[in-house]
Amino acid sequence: MMKTLGAGAAALAAASLPAGCSSSGGVTRIVFEETKPEVVPYFNNLVAKFNAAHPDIVVTHDFTSNLIAEFVRGNTPAIDCDNYNLTTSIFVARGVLADLSGLPQAKLIEPNIQALVTQYASYHGETSILPYSVAAEGVIYNVELFDKAGISSVPTTWSEFLAACEKFKSANITPIFQTFGDNWTTQQGLFDYTVGGMIDVAGFYRQLNAAGTSLGPSSPVSFEKDFTAPCQRMLSLAPYFNENPIAKHYGDGNLAFANGAAGMYMQGPWAVGEVLAINPKLKMGTFPLPATDDASQTKCRVNLDLAIWLPRSQAPGQRAAAIKFLDYLMQPAVVNAYNQANLAFSPLKGAPPQTSALVSGLNPYVRSGRFYQGAGTYVPNTIPVGNYIQEMMLTGNVAGFTSAMDSAFRRLAIRTSA
Amino acid sequence: MATQVNTAAVGAPAIQPRRRRRMPDGVRVNWGLTVLMAICSLIVLIPLYFAIAMALKSPAQTGTGTGFNFPWPLQWGNFRAAWDLTDTPLAFSMSLLVTVIAVVGEILVSALAAWSIVRNWDHWQFRATFVYLMLALFIPFPVVALPQVKLTAALGLDNPFGVAILHIMFQLAFNVLLFSAYIRSIPVELEESARMDGCTTLQTFRRVVMPLLAPISATVGIFAFLQSWNDFMMPQLVTANPKFQTLPVVQYLFQTQFTTNYNVAFASYLMALLPTLVAFLIGQRWVVSGIMRGSIK
Amino acid sequence: MATTALPSQPAAEPAVVPPTRTPLGLLKSIFFPVSPTYLLMVIPAVLLFTFFIMYPAVQGAIWSFTNFVGYGTSRFIGFANYKAAFADPTVRASYGFTLLFAVVACVFTNVVAMALAIGLNAKIRWRAGFRTIFFLPMVLSGLVVSYIFTFIISTSVPIISSAVHFAPLESSILANQHLAWLGVVFVASWVAIPGAIIIFLAGLVSIPSEVYEAASIDGASPWRQFQKMTFPLLFPFFIINTILTFKGFLNVYDISVGLTGGGPGTATTSVAMTIFNGFFNGDYAYQMANAVIFFLITLLFAIFQLSVIRRRGGSL
Repeated sequence: MMKTLGAGAAALAAASLPAGCSSSGGVTRIVFEETKPEVVPYFNNLVAKFNAAHPDIVVTHDFTSNLIAEFVRGNTPAIDCDNYNLTTSIFVARGVLADLSGLPQAKLIEPNIQALVTQYASYHGETSILPYSVAAEGVIYNVELFDKAGISSVPTTWSEFLAACEKFKSANITPIFQTFGDNWTTQQGLFDYTVGGMIDVAGFYRQLNAAGTSLGPSSPVSFEKDFTAPCQRMLSLAPYFNENPIAKHYGDGNLAFANGAAGMYMQGPWAVGEVLAINPKLKMGTFPLPATDDASQTKCRVNLDLAIWLPRSQAPGQRAAAIKFLDYLMQPAVVNAYNQANLAFSPLKGAPPQTSALVSGLNPYVRSGRFYQGAGTYVPNTIPVGNYIQEMMLTGNVAGFTSAMDSAFRRLAIRTSA
Repeated sequence: MATQVNTAAVGAPAIQPRRRRRMPDGVRVNWGLTVLMAICSLIVLIPLYFAIAMALKSPAQTGTGTGFNFPWPLQWGNFRAAWDLTDTPLAFSMSLLVTVIAVVGEILVSALAAWSIVRNWDHWQFRATFVYLMLALFIPFPVVALPQVKLTAALGLDNPFGVAILHIMFQLAFNVLLFSAYIRSIPVELEESARMDGCTTLQTFRRVVMPLLAPISATVGIFAFLQSWNDFMMPQLVTANPKFQTLPVVQYLFQTQFTTNYNVAFASYLMALLPTLVAFLIGQRWVVSGIMRGSIK
Repeated sequence: MATTALPSQPAAEPAVVPPTRTPLGLLKSIFFPVSPTYLLMVIPAVLLFTFFIMYPAVQGAIWSFTNFVGYGTSRFIGFANYKAAFADPTVRASYGFTLLFAVVACVFTNVVAMALAIGLNAKIRWRAGFRTIFFLPMVLSGLVVSYIFTFIISTSVPIISSAVHFAPLESSILANQHLAWLGVVFVASWVAIPGAIIIFLAGLVSIPSEVYEAASIDGASPWRQFQKMTFPLLFPFFIINTILTFKGFLNVYDISVGLTGGGPGTATTSVAMTIFNGFFNGDYAYQMANAVIFFLITLLFAIFQLSVIRRRGGSL
């Protein structure tokens, strides 16, 4: 049976050439992997344009594969453009990605955006990742309800923010729509915003990881020392939330906000699209949460929504074709157009500002480097930080949260130093 | 007794696959129980109504009230949108290929193995084999996942055939368990008489045992079909060439939390469900029609 | 007679291999004491099984002693992953939830499924239709089911409950740290019951109706009929269902993820969830250690289950 199936498999493989590592008749076939669902059609279009202009290269767009499995199997794509986060940063840390520092495109990228890459991981000072799209997040607000409550401008300090909440309350409008039902929504919104607005997130984790197994009361940083104040600030907003946020989920939040149930909503640009699908006429804007009374300290949350990398081990022909495709993707006009069209920000030096009013409130922060990657995004998935935050929101127990985080990181350090 | 058994066993499946022996005319219907079952069935029907209603609403209609309100006006456009999103006949045929191989393979491989084991239970080798196979019931999938990815790639089986083989192997313990329990309830005298008539072991299996195993084979087949058709992890990990990817993997992309328009998502689920439903309705007739009633023991 | 229904053919091979006197034959009779056809039915399957399941399992287990992430280089780190797993309160809590959940859901599912299976096998009207309805949930994927029930439990039920002033369900039980697990039990059972019904029915159809007819003539009450006849005859299928559903519940993943995301807090985080969380996220080896521990625990449970069953006179 094995034999027949094996033969059948070979026949199947032969019938349709596995797009990957073949070059015949002067045509090089490469796989481009990109799995962000919303923009699959957008990249399909880019790939088609590139293929039309380059008869010697055929790029196939793979949007279903699993990268880990591909590394295990050793059939990585020739070029990848996906979300860069702590998980993908392991590719960097383990040295399986190509060094792109020699490429001219590496010099096009704003240094403070490039620096976001190494906040998670680096490998011998190489440039393994080229940022392609920066998503910026803040507080989404309902423009009409702001007017209705008599709030003339977006708050720029914590006191102004609280004053705005009070105005909403006295106008009988729910100030903030909050959904604790999912374990990620509070983490990526409220939690990341208050922590990021009050402390230097990258610096905290740098010192935290340096402390390693000695993490504790005597180490320079700890969750107990540094996160207690932000967490208390975050809990102090509870009176301004909708009723029963624990029973509300992401979809409920989008729906409620779209129907004008609250003045503010702490979600990223992905939610903007969902809200508009429900109520296309809703006027919205975004501002970064001012977590302190020093307006100059206010920063917004960002993440490298898309970033390009090439695998380190790659046949020369594949590498050459991949670089040609990279040349095409990284043209400033292409990068900027993509980001403009997808409510994101271009990582290139001197890129034009995002013009959509939905997120343009974040322009000055992104362009001047006043941003941070969310405090929750530095936590490995083994530690269910989202669930811990959810529990803290329910019980109000800040000390329980910080000590759980400290001991989880200490255990992680003990394990990884073994 | 033996005569009756044999005619039913060998003759029934071929002559009349759907004989209703339990409810010949004139047998009193238990109406009390019927009403009770009808009430119980609401627990199933209400969530199903909910799913269908969800697929026929607009996002604005979704949020109002309990979710049980009748979807009016009906938004057939959701199905259209779902269809456009998953316009993947190739993925559909890949799913079908994997599922057909898995269903046939699972029934055959496990029926043969289970019969061989049960009929040789006196030998410790066969009992040990049984225990050995049962170990797999308790192996968590993640333990074997990455090594299997490596293995299938090394063998050139990083394609739908590999996925199907892994499905067959993964379900082997479960299926052997079901088959062997059923085989134990089949009187061995039947097979003995077949042998006396000169049947070889294989012929006995094919002509006597396999027909007797029809209900449990249908059960195994249904489980195999559902498991194989709906599987996401295995094909996503094992299949190297995205062109050969199965339906759930291709569909998943459009059903992740950030992009989900719940209504279109539900329309898409319901559509993906259709083939399963059809296969299921065909398969369950065999299980429930009670063709074997009275034919065993 | 039996012979009439069966095709008669000349014997092609004897059913039992006669002992041979050659040394090879002697070896064969020790190691392979049965007809080669029987061996051919089982040996290829066992070899393939070893190759595709057992060998990968051993390899995965070996990796639990390394700092492997699935690719690239790695080195052996002894029992560090195991020590860390035992010390991890998240992991320990996940075992607590998973075992409690699995036991309760297993009992609930089997009791309900057996009752429904008997009902579906009785003389009710529209029996085929009812069977179809009760089998339907197994067609849905766990994720879809959890979407449906998330909405029903956290939105519909509270609205209806407050309308009729039924206080206990006015707020979503999924939002209650102490009760959320019951929601997971209900939904997971809803999904698992049809499969269990099918297995029970497969067993029930093998009970001849004459047995019942004889019993009702004897005037045995339905409960006595169940106790003295149905249950003993169903016992093998009951064992199988207990083992299979228990095993299935121990591996609860998609229902937990879809319904509660392991929350509120970490109240409904299952072992499978913790394993999968690390699996694709650079914590491969650590979660392999967790998975190996999990395997050993489930195995112990299975052996325990079997020994209880054996003591009660059943066998597999």
